[in-house]
Amino acid sequence: MHMTGKPVLTVAILIFMLWGMIGAAQESHVGNLVGNAKRGKALYERYCIFCHGPTGDGRGESAPYLDPKPRDFTKAVFKCRSTASGSLPLDIDLYNTITRGVHASGMPSWRPLLRQERVDMVAYIKTFSPAFKEEKPGQPVTIPTEPPDSPDSIARGAALFQSLNCWSCHGKDGRGHGPSAASLTDSQGNPITPFDFTSGTHFKCGQSDQDMFRDLVTGLDGTPMPSFAAAMKPDQMWDVVHYIRTLSTSKKHAEPKDQTDGQ
Amino acid sequence: MGSVIRKRLGLDLLILVTLFAWAQTAYGIPAFARKYGLPCSACHEAWPMLNNFGQTFKDNGYQLGNGRDAPIYQEPAYWPVMFRTTPVWHRESNNRQAVDSVAGNGGSGQIESTVTTSGFDLLGVDMITAGTLYQNISFFVQPFIGNSSISLQQAWTRLDNLAGSHWLNLKVGKFELDQPISQERSLILNNTGGIYYNYFFTPPGDNNFFQGIGFPQLGAELSGHSENDHTRYSVAVLSDSNGSPNSPSNQGYNVYANFNQAFEVPWFGKQEVGAYGYFGESPTFFQTSGGAPLPGTGTGNRGLYRAGVYGHWFVDKFDFYTFYLHGYDNVFLGNSVPSNQPSSLPFGAVAPVWNGGFVEGHYNPTPRWIVIGRYELNRMSRQANPNIRGDLGNVDIWTVGYRWYPIMSPRAGFAWTQEYSHASNAGAAPLSGKDDTHSSVLMGFDFDF
Amino acid sequence: MKKNFYLLIMLIATLAMSRPGRMSAGPGQPPDSSSSLKGAVKFEGVAPKPSRIDMSADPLCAKAHTTPVTTEEIVVGANGGLANVVVYVSDGITAGPSQPPQQAAVFEQKGCQYKPHVLAMQANQKLEIVNSDETTHNIHPTPTNNREWNMTQPHGAPLEQTFARQEIAIPVKCNVHPWMRGYIAVFKHPYFAVTDKDGVFEVKDLPPGTYTITAWQEKLGTQTQKVTIGAGESKTLDFSFKQ
Repeated sequence: MHMTGKPVLTVAILIFMLWGMIGAAQESHVGNLVGNAKRGKALYERYCIFCHGPTGDGRGESAPYLDPKPRDFTKAVFKCRSTASGSLPLDIDLYNTITRGVHASGMPSWRPLLRQERVDMVAYIKTFSPAFKEEKPGQPVTIPTEPPDSPDSIARGAALFQSLNCWSCHGKDGRGHGPSAASLTDSQGNPITPFDFTSGTHFKCGQSDQDMFRDLVTGLDGTPMPSFAAAMKPDQMWDVVHYIRTLSTSKKHAEPKDQTDGQ
Repeated sequence: MGSVIRKRLGLDLLILVTLFAWAQTAYGIPAFARKYGLPCSACHEAWPMLNNFGQTFKDNGYQLGNGRDAPIYQEPAYWPVMFRTTPVWHRESNNRQAVDSVAGNGGSGQIESTVTTSGFDLLGVDMITAGTLYQNISFFVQPFIGNSSISLQQAWTRLDNLAGSHWLNLKVGKFELDQPISQERSLILNNTGGIYYNYFFTPPGDNNFFQGIGFPQLGAELSGHSENDHTRYSVAVLSDSNGSPNSPSNQGYNVYANFNQAFEVPWFGKQEVGAYGYFGESPTFFQTSGGAPLPGTGTGNRGLYRAGVYGHWFVDKFDFYTFYLHGYDNVFLGNSVPSNQPSSLPFGAVAPVWNGGFVEGHYNPTPRWIVIGRYELNRMSRQANPNIRGDLGNVDIWTVGYRWYPIMSPRAGFAWTQEYSHASNAGAAPLSGKDDTHSSVLMGFDFDF
Repeated sequence: MKKNFYLLIMLIATLAMSRPGRMSAGPGQPPDSSSSLKGAVKFEGVAPKPSRIDMSADPLCAKAHTTPVTTEEIVVGANGGLANVVVYVSDGITAGPSQPPQQAAVFEQKGCQYKPHVLAMQANQKLEIVNSDETTHNIHPTPTNNREWNMTQPHGAPLEQTFARQEIAIPVKCNVHPWMRGYIAVFKHPYFAVTDKDGVFEVKDLPPGTYTITAWQEKLGTQTQKVTIGAGESKTLDFSFKQ
């Protein structure tokens, strides 16, 4: 048999394709940036490892002293997503969490890191759980245009807050001391408190009305906060958002920021 | 005349070097790491040198902005104090020093000789307390523990994020200037290479009160930065007392400003450029009563400035600082002559002008290793007194070293360091007028808690 | 030669693109329609007294009950039978993962409790969740081998989910009503049963072979026994749990 150059080339292309497919699991895409898990690993060991641990299970050296506990990446369950409850997050969801940080927790805002660095970290974080190789994230939530705020909307929102049992955790006044509040644990078994809408604390997954709407649709996986996708229509969700705003003592509504722009 | 000046310069340089060996403070602050559970490497490229995240933390008033900054969120057992000390072995060698030809006999005449010392040593102790007094009110107190007294190296409070904006922060007290590359966080500790000469340089024969941007100064600073700290500015109004409280000075005020801008270059990383300037006046004599100077009444002010540009460049795991300084002191300051006695000026006296700069490179392959190389120089472009050697005061210093951080935790910092520095001062040998050289070898442990 | 080579390339490409774990074949052997594994699970000793559940936090729950409601961790019947025990084949099945049945498994929230308290179903089988109560529940399974989700469900709102992987068993809770507790056991084969109020179970249609049978109870742990079953045979297997 006479070996020509062509089969060798084909095999080479094949190997390259296979390698690319394996390598594809180690990449992340945010905007037009591509993240690389190898660079992300070096960044993780500099910035993240002491809380999130060398295996990404949230058992870093500082973890015993932190409340809430650092995220366990091996479970691939994330609070702040734009996909349905039970679904993996999109790369940009992880990127946004890294950029924004998580208020009232040990997770700082890593905005001072370069965008490329943050995208690289997303690629590495995805390697901690096989779920990212085995499954794809679901479709992201479409956030419709917000209808204008109005007393009627707020009143409807208040009625939904009552009928959908939001008060059982968040309390009638939104302070987070509802009847079931004391029994709440996150999915790791650690006690967790419902959000206090009257405090000045920022919401964990973004400050804007659009972020709040999205939180209602996706729920905060890993916590007692459920998805309301089966319970409310979009208009009703906006009503609830408007009502919740009235509970807050802070008047500012931050505009949503495109996290992949210059910042 | 020349030898007097040379002697004086030699002495000044010796005093300067000793002073700086003591004042050589640089720190990573484990108290911050303990407060937030972050490792040293989160804020420091290799402590004490800050990375962008740490610089942002500092510019935010030592706050992460995650709602957990105010002291009320800390356990009562948390105390924002850190200590740092550096037990080392070092060897200093200074050549062309003037020594008695017969040791112990002051009348035996002087010869030039190399003076070498070596041994185990402690490079002083730093004690710092810093953090937040309240949300958006931060503070910093750094005592200077000397042989027989304690004074304050830095002590300031800062109102952060005024009107909710990170563009407005007001710091008042005695503080390190917003230097292009922070002297306080130098990675080199030895006597010779441990300071940025350009930050402390005063030309030969100059008695300027103000002695360089390396000294902490008394005043008020308005500063601000963009959210990711890529754009930064600061403007400070300072008393021209060179940072000495209760010091003889006058009602003069100087201004220091710094501005820098960073940008992200694909494949290379962050690059930063900036410009700075210190502009002001210093007194040349005092008001007197019965011939005795009255403290705090410095007068006969004459102008000075130090200004330049700098950059910080990243290429993967390498980064470089480039720094340039242009200095100017008025002719009276340059010749140490009161401005009300112009006839005392030497013939042909002019304002001294000089240029200096440095290049410092780092290789930081992992958070636990950093290799450092630095070359610094200063060149007198014009001497205040044209009768003295044109190159007097020129220095060339190069340094190599590395630091290794075997243990990194959010609780304390620990490093092993080895360094070598060599400096050459043109025409500064007191007897022969040749160049005198200094070299330092240092190795030891550096820890802070 | 070239044709063979390109066929080989296509084969490799197909293999490369196929995702692991999805290459499923049906059961290797046709089921024997008359074999049956029956038995009873008993509780040894005096049955522990269950504690009362206080539903006063939600009046809509409280008014659904006229008699006191008790916890369901250990439910012992009149003859000492232990209810809500999952009995299943844990070893010995040679066939690959089977297709789930078309019919959905139903998990109901009724009277602010889960009915059934323990549900057994197959992987990828449709799970229909029903809220028969006037109050709004959220249904929050906390699996370790499946995706975790958490959905609010008002009265009458339809909700369908599924679990992709075998797990015995997934705890289910409602954050609004903290006393609510249930379990869903997910299998990749159809050979399982849950004991009724008398502790009786039957696993039908096991192909002939030797199997390890495990009984799982939410508080009392697991017990295993081996059994060999022939074609058309009827065997009895009993388990006994004690605290």
